[in-house]
Amino acid sequence: MEILKNPHIDFLGKARYFIALSALFIGGGLAVMLSQGLRYGVEFSGGTQLILHFQATPEVDQIRHAVDQVSGGAVIQSYGDPAKNSVLVRVAQEAPENDLDAPARSIREALAKSYGKNPVLESSSEIVGPIVGAELRQKAVYLTVLGLLAQLIYITARFKGGAWGVSAAIAGLHDILISLGFLTLFHYEITLNVIAALLTLVGYSVNDTVVVFDRVRENLGKRRKDPLPSILNDSMNQTLTRTLISNGTTLLAVLGLYLFGGEVLRGFSFTMVIGVLVGTYSTVFIAVPFVNWWYGRGGDASGKTVRAA
Amino acid sequence: MPPALQNPITLWLLLTAALGGIVYAFMRPELRVKATLYGAVLIACGVAIWPPYEWNGQPGKIHLGLDLRGGVHLVLQVVLDDALNATTDDAVNTTRDQATRKGIQVASVLRTAPYSFAIEGIEPARVKDMKDVVRDFFRTGWAVKDAGENRLSVEMTELYQRQLKEQTVQDAIRTLERRINALGVAEPVIAATGNSGDQILVQLPGVTDLEQAKRVIKTTAQLSLKLVESSAGSEQALLEAKGGKVPDNMEMLSGPSDTPGQPTWYLLRKEAMITGRDLKNARVGVDENNRPDVVFSLNATSADKFSRETGRNIGRQLAIVLDGTVYSAPVIQGRLGADNNRITGRFGTQEADDLSKILKAGALPATLKYQQQLTVGPSLGRDSIRSGVMASVAGLAFIVIFMVIYYKLSGVNAVVALTANLLILLAVLAYFQANLTLPGIAGVILTMGVGVDTNVLVFERIREELHHGKTVRAAVANGFDRVLVTIIDTHLTAIIAALFLFTFGTGPIKGFAVTLVIGLAANVFASFFVSKFLFEWVLGKGHVETLSI
Repeated sequence: MEILKNPHIDFLGKARYFIALSALFIGGGLAVMLSQGLRYGVEFSGGTQLILHFQATPEVDQIRHAVDQVSGGAVIQSYGDPAKNSVLVRVAQEAPENDLDAPARSIREALAKSYGKNPVLESSSEIVGPIVGAELRQKAVYLTVLGLLAQLIYITARFKGGAWGVSAAIAGLHDILISLGFLTLFHYEITLNVIAALLTLVGYSVNDTVVVFDRVRENLGKRRKDPLPSILNDSMNQTLTRTLISNGTTLLAVLGLYLFGGEVLRGFSFTMVIGVLVGTYSTVFIAVPFVNWWYGRGGDASGKTVRAA
Repeated sequence: MPPALQNPITLWLLLTAALGGIVYAFMRPELRVKATLYGAVLIACGVAIWPPYEWNGQPGKIHLGLDLRGGVHLVLQVVLDDALNATTDDAVNTTRDQATRKGIQVASVLRTAPYSFAIEGIEPARVKDMKDVVRDFFRTGWAVKDAGENRLSVEMTELYQRQLKEQTVQDAIRTLERRINALGVAEPVIAATGNSGDQILVQLPGVTDLEQAKRVIKTTAQLSLKLVESSAGSEQALLEAKGGKVPDNMEMLSGPSDTPGQPTWYLLRKEAMITGRDLKNARVGVDENNRPDVVFSLNATSADKFSRETGRNIGRQLAIVLDGTVYSAPVIQGRLGADNNRITGRFGTQEADDLSKILKAGALPATLKYQQQLTVGPSLGRDSIRSGVMASVAGLAFIVIFMVIYYKLSGVNAVVALTANLLILLAVLAYFQANLTLPGIAGVILTMGVGVDTNVLVFERIREELHHGKTVRAAVANGFDRVLVTIIDTHLTAIIAALFLFTFGTGPIKGFAVTLVIGLAANVFASFFVSKFLFEWVLGKGHVETLSI
């Protein structure tokens, strides 16, 4: 069985439309991020988050009423599978260093007092002091930038040319920006797990780009007289089946994770779903056109100046 | 049927072994070496993960992370200034002693910062002598500077400060380890973390009594026994008796009295007769009123000193000071020995029990402050396992069906390779006792995705070579050879990304990175050894016309 027989799609010819589309997505994403602000999970913003497992179906209104007495402006929403009777309570209020538990304790006490008819059977909590939150946020940005830089250096060294490394890194950055836009648009929080997903997504995107580049490198060696754009196009077409099958299966695997993976991993798997889609797209419409543009700048598109091995 | 065969696992193992034996017997001899080698690796992996979870009373080999089994995760900040202060105080005392011993008149020796102190009002003729004394005494770690006006300033070197900080964090970790072991927590994690390495990560899987855990962890437990100079019901009364000023060699501390809400104030000798370091053992006992107390014994060297000092001070009060609070101040009735010394206070049983554990484990070198606290309830953990496993199984089932439909027999080969990949990944996790976290399960799924990609790359390449008219055997060989280059590049870039996740330090994400790196390495073995071997075996030696791909 074959899904494609000898495809000949002119990806580069249509690249400009897709670059415009990407610009639209990134611009729109930035606008959403600027207007709504990034939502940070409790590990980055500091504060207290409780997941309370009630005996019976919790009434969010009454819980809010009880919590408001001790802590205003709390986020209260039902959590995960409704059959689990679970509610998420989050307060931004800073947890004091000498008694980190204080806000959580007062919430539990208030609930026991005003909403005692439906007791909490089990509670999970996450309490983060202000120092840790700030440190983590800083570290996440460092790691993303350093990770991209390291991959850029590796690819530049392996393909003996800055264009390859830079374009892979640009594609990765492109994917992060678009994913962040979608995360904000769909009200997902930036948690540690989401950061892990973003870093993985960069790895995945670069991975996908490298597969195509590898084919380009091989073709450049075999077809020394052909112009670069046609080599780039052919390389993408030759790897197209693989791109569809591999990324398609991975997409379905992470989609499974998104649908069945449970509440804790929801943000992670959402990021991965977006990431697999965008990572595939950016290889074809961002990374390869960038290489073409880089080597075609001098009007010499013959590919002779391409220094790749 | 013999009873051993009624066990489905045993039966299954025997059948597999029999099947393997038959395959092995008909295999071409030149392939047997590889078959033995790969078979041995996979069997070893199978043994390493058996049983994966608790089964027939045997503990499971796959260690679950906090997010999956429930428990407590704490991040504590070590207040390093505490340790610097203590070291500088020691140096101040030594300097004072040395000045007296050498007969040098000095107005005062005082700490000016956590890492420095000043010697002031030195008799002018002997400033140089004083300087030499300090230099001689603190050869390393301290720098003496002439500050003019018969003044010397002494500062800790940066190197010494750094060493001291590292030492403090290490000591704190060791103390915490002892205390947590006393709590009886299985598989705790206690490690330095944070950007500047001054934080300690504590993970206590399965712990539900957070309050007790936190109490035992945080109590600094600086125990000291000090002679009482005088005591009074209020701070002012005590100060007035001494002319409004606490003498240099004394300190003022308070502690609970028999009337609640009204502490007693004590003026104590600064120098401790005994400190927590001199303790050999501590346990819970009962006092004459049947109230719980803590009984401790001393090691040999300090017991001598204790006996001498108590003998010399019969009739005076000896204060028992723990973390700056006077727990009690009994009157010394007679010469005291190494054993059966008691700390009485107004303890509850739990409190006395905790205190004895803490004293036995030793004092913390510095105060700890909580920065982060995460508790995962056991049922949330169970839900997460169920969801994670369900998602993995769904993903795997889909991949298996797709590969077999799309690549036919070669697809079966890919499924074998994927299974080997998964088996090796889990075995390495089990062997290194790495924790499987929820993001770790996600890492497993992603590894499966990468595994599929490797197979797809190879298979597509083989198809291409076949289109170009290559023979089956040449197409397979070329397919693997060409793709190996790509795989090295893609896997290395992915590993580079994963290595950065390692440094993130926090449990779940590290778990993800660990699974990903192991998975990628296992993937190379599964594809380029196991899968390639299966092709070689199926294709045999003779001429092959077609390949099921």
